Amino acid sequence: MFSIRRGEKLNPAQRRYLRRFFPAMTMYVLVLFACTAMIRDQKPQGAMLALLSVAPALPIVAAILVMGAYLIEERDEFIRTRLATAMLGGLGIMLVITSIWGFLENGGAVGHFPTFLTFPVWCGCFGLWQCAMGLRDRFAGDGA
Amino acid sequence: MNNHLRALRAARGWSQQHLAEQLEVSRQSVNAIETGRYDPSLPLAFRIAELFELAIEDVFVSPSKEK
Repeated sequence: MFSIRRGEKLNPAQRRYLRRFFPAMTMYVLVLFACTAMIRDQKPQGAMLALLSVAPALPIVAAILVMGAYLIEERDEFIRTRLATAMLGGLGIMLVITSIWGFLENGGAVGHFPTFLTFPVWCGCFGLWQCAMGLRDRFAGDGA
Repeated sequence: MNNHLRALRAARGWSQQHLAEQLEVSRQSVNAIETGRYDPSLPLAFRIAELFELAIEDVFVSPSKEK
């Protein structure tokens, strides 16, 4: 989400982000395993099946809200601008990938893309964009 | 946008970290502004100018006046 260089401290918004994000991701792993096991072992039907199916998405929703809150709470305008740029860049890459995949899928050339992977794919694209920005800065002389 | 931030900072013997702390921004922000990779918002540009006790145009070069 953000990069911290040696000797630099996290600012308050970054500390709040970490305090919120890691519990959400821990909850995601726990809920995912619990719900998967319950669906497999107890074979629930109807509303219970829907509830257990959607439960792992709730910590993901929380993580997305945490990322949004950090973007709002970050007081450093340069970091905020970089973050928003990387988020939009990642979104652009993801839209390209999913659009191409959708047409390939429609033509029967590839299998179905599970839509719950959209968020992890976006996170990967967002990370790639941040790496590209970091490399650009390094070549531009941000070595101080 | 070009600026004289690096020279002004050096004249006072300040590090980028020191300037960043004075402005309550990250050192990365100071570096990005100094190298012209980031144009600060008007409020931050004013804060910088006020910190150096200069007019804003003495710190930042108007794009229309750049050669």
